[in-house]
Amino acid sequence: MEGTDTGGNTYLIRPNYHHKFKAAVVKECIHDILREQLSGVQYDPDEVGVLSRSLADCIKDKLKDVGFDRYKLVVQVVIGEQRGEGVKMAARCFWDADTDSYAQDIFMNDSLFCVAAAFGSYFY
Amino acid sequence: MPKGASLFRCVSVSKLSVLQCIQSIIGEESYRQDTVNQWTAKIVEQALTLLVKQTKSYKYIVSCAVMQKSGAGLHTANSCYWDTVTDGSCTVKWENRTMYCVVSVFAVALTP
Repeated sequence: MEGTDTGGNTYLIRPNYHHKFKAAVVKECIHDILREQLSGVQYDPDEVGVLSRSLADCIKDKLKDVGFDRYKLVVQVVIGEQRGEGVKMAARCFWDADTDSYAQDIFMNDSLFCVAAAFGSYFY
Repeated sequence: MPKGASLFRCVSVSKLSVLQCIQSIIGEESYRQDTVNQWTAKIVEQALTLLVKQTKSYKYIVSCAVMQKSGAGLHTANSCYWDTVTDGSCTVKWENRTMYCVVSVFAVALTP
């Protein structure tokens, strides 16, 4: 009934518990990837553009492997230099709160900070 | 069915309205740590309200980052797993003398 026909409707208005976008699992994935790829990395203005793009792709691929079928994913990664400045990031979503969710994690070291947020939107 | 073309037409309209929205909330202000929370919350709420008023069948995700100008660099990247025909995003950058503001809007289609 689900999974085989990935393009069309499944007429399921809710994913069952096992296929739900679990924020805790996703946060753990993001945390591991950020720690693995950013430990010991210094802020370099030439490379950080490529780094942030590759981090976003890496997180997205990892989440696809975890197996959130029927979910559309949006991953946003923000990397900034640490100079004691103030930063505030906020997000608002207009979606179905029963089925959709997000997870975020922050990584900081002496020279940079990185915020990664993953949003999952159920495709009915 | 919302098609890619209609999404991008409304994306360019959205960019302008998001810019106006940012301008009206923090246009004249200087970065202040005690009010930045309220500003980011207001910006995302207003931007979301503007988009929803367009009454297209989309789910929206709006994210906003406000950063004080101190000579430091900031990079934003996003990666999306969706239907490229019907879904889309746009990012708006704004700055004044004391701060930068980056707002990203993601629109995910509801019915195929």
